[in-house]
Amino acid sequence: MGFLSVFDNLLYGLGVALTPVNLLVAVVGLVLGTAIGVLPGLGGTNGVALLLPLTFTLTPTSAIILLASVYWGAIFGGAITSILFNIPGEPWSVATTFDGHPLAKQGKPGIALTAAFTSSFIGALVSIILFTFFAPPLAELALRFGPPENFAVLLLAFATFAGLESGHPLKTVLMTLLGLLLSTVGFDIVSGRPRMNFGFVELQSGINFVVIAIGLFGLGEILLTVEEGLRLEGIRGRISFRDLWETWRLFPRYIATLVRATILGFWIGVLPGTGATPASFVSYGLAKQFSRHPERFGKGEVEGVVAPETAAHAAGIGALLPMVTLGIPGSPTAAVMLAGFFIWGLNPGPLLFTEQREFVWGLIGSMYIANVIGVVLVLTMVPVFAAINRIPFGILAPLIVILSSIGAYAANNQILDLWIMLGSGVAGYLFKKLGYPLAPLVVALVLGDMTEQALRQSLIMGQGRLSFFLTRPIALLFIAASAVLFLLPVLRGIRRRPARGAPRPVEAA
Amino acid sequence: MRTAEVGMAAALVVLGGVLIWQAVQLPIGWTPIGPGAGFFPFWLAVGVTVSAAGILVGRLRVQPAPRDRKAFIPTHAWRPLLAVFLPMVAVVALMNVLGIYLGGALYLAGYMWLVGRHRPLTIVLVSVLVPAALFFIFERWFLLPLPKGAVLESILYGR
Repeated sequence: MGFLSVFDNLLYGLGVALTPVNLLVAVVGLVLGTAIGVLPGLGGTNGVALLLPLTFTLTPTSAIILLASVYWGAIFGGAITSILFNIPGEPWSVATTFDGHPLAKQGKPGIALTAAFTSSFIGALVSIILFTFFAPPLAELALRFGPPENFAVLLLAFATFAGLESGHPLKTVLMTLLGLLLSTVGFDIVSGRPRMNFGFVELQSGINFVVIAIGLFGLGEILLTVEEGLRLEGIRGRISFRDLWETWRLFPRYIATLVRATILGFWIGVLPGTGATPASFVSYGLAKQFSRHPERFGKGEVEGVVAPETAAHAAGIGALLPMVTLGIPGSPTAAVMLAGFFIWGLNPGPLLFTEQREFVWGLIGSMYIANVIGVVLVLTMVPVFAAINRIPFGILAPLIVILSSIGAYAANNQILDLWIMLGSGVAGYLFKKLGYPLAPLVVALVLGDMTEQALRQSLIMGQGRLSFFLTRPIALLFIAASAVLFLLPVLRGIRRRPARGAPRPVEAA
Repeated sequence: MRTAEVGMAAALVVLGGVLIWQAVQLPIGWTPIGPGAGFFPFWLAVGVTVSAAGILVGRLRVQPAPRDRKAFIPTHAWRPLLAVFLPMVAVVALMNVLGIYLGGALYLAGYMWLVGRHRPLTIVLVSVLVPAALFFIFERWFLLPLPKGAVLESILYGR
């Protein structure tokens, strides 16, 4: 596909995104997403999961625009709580608290917020441009993939977790395997026989991924939040024109940081499975390392806000690249969106580009539009969104539980799923407290069927010999890359040097 | 903390074993249609068991550190935790009987009264208006029928 046709398609996509319905959907998504981002205990992943049932009645294009806009809104919104309340509204805005809150305490909340939103926007915009030009060739390449290549790419997705998660590598591997196992419950796709259901007929339709995600991320997160005792004492902040001018004047100085953070974030986002959270930490650490004044970091350095925010939003955009082109989610939030594809009757994968032009290019077009609207929205509406945190927890907690129940029920129209949701909530709480990462489990659960099918088809093609993979150069390349990633934790163990700027293990979201 | 860590790893070893047992009910080897239905789950379950055992052994080999004596759930956290968790269980049970709207309304009211300690007027307003709003969004606007339970069904539709 040449450049011209990319421009053609992009113009077409912008046209799709600018239709009144899609524009409205994007604004609604952004407002909801920002609110979700502001609220601690309600994250982008379960925010998207909760809205999934509402998309049944929309066209697939409007549906994906809604969910993607929620994601962008949540990425913008997470910074508000981090800076004003010193509590990360989202896992990817933990790094933003390091310098954002000190700035706010020094009486410069407007500058911290402007810096966060502006850099988030720049990271997003540059990534969307990268996305626009990378996606079509990648999809074209992926069209030539057979089962062995698909399996190798999936393996790479799982290896990325093992290599990049900061926690215990064995725990990451275990959670991945557990997620894959959960996906085998129900029917065997090849032989058609029921399996792994422990004799329960209800389990024969399989375990719905949305139910598990809502339980793990939604209910589990509430339990963790109340344990820490939720008291929100914030600094009031609004953004004046002076703040805008004073912050934007500084930005030319941060060119190097912006470029580095965008490329890094986009790349980490594209890697299957990891999302905005690791990107923000790595970017913060790098900015500190490269800075001429590393001692100022943590005390209210504007660059310490710019670096993680740029990378987080760049990664959020990057995470959708493998989702659209390969059918592999780049982050847990993208995994939930991918679950939507099946509900809307779409087959995720490279064929989308040729068969669903409106869907794919409408999504890409809406990324441009939604992020422009989004940055204006958050810059002007900070006080309104910050006020959301004044909803008493006595109302908020039951409300989240009710919304979670609706989301979990609507995924499959099965009341039994509410109990599964509750169980996953408890499991999520225990797992998270004990350092077992949740993201690999969720992503593996979504990718399970695909992985099994690719592996079994490859084995059939090779008559049961694993050496068959050696005859497929592209697959071999991915397998080699996976092996390197699997070995990373081992190498790190030998060097025993904890990364700077990553004070506690936080997982991808 | 240490007890909880060891307990979780041990529980996962057991879970892995149970899953292996479930998998071997199916053909795990080569069948006329390629790898059998139990092939993939079997090796995954083996992987779960092995990695859980690895975590368990690793944890037992490390000498207990001072942080291990910290309680897994600190004493002060029990109250707020149960205050959120028990109503969570109750609402799921309620929703099974009364449906999502009535169950949700009762839960909201009960939670606001017992845990949030809000004023009666606030409680009534919120616990009536929120489920009503949800009803219009899902049932009317998005045409997504949610379970209503026998009581609400008969009130609304006389069934």
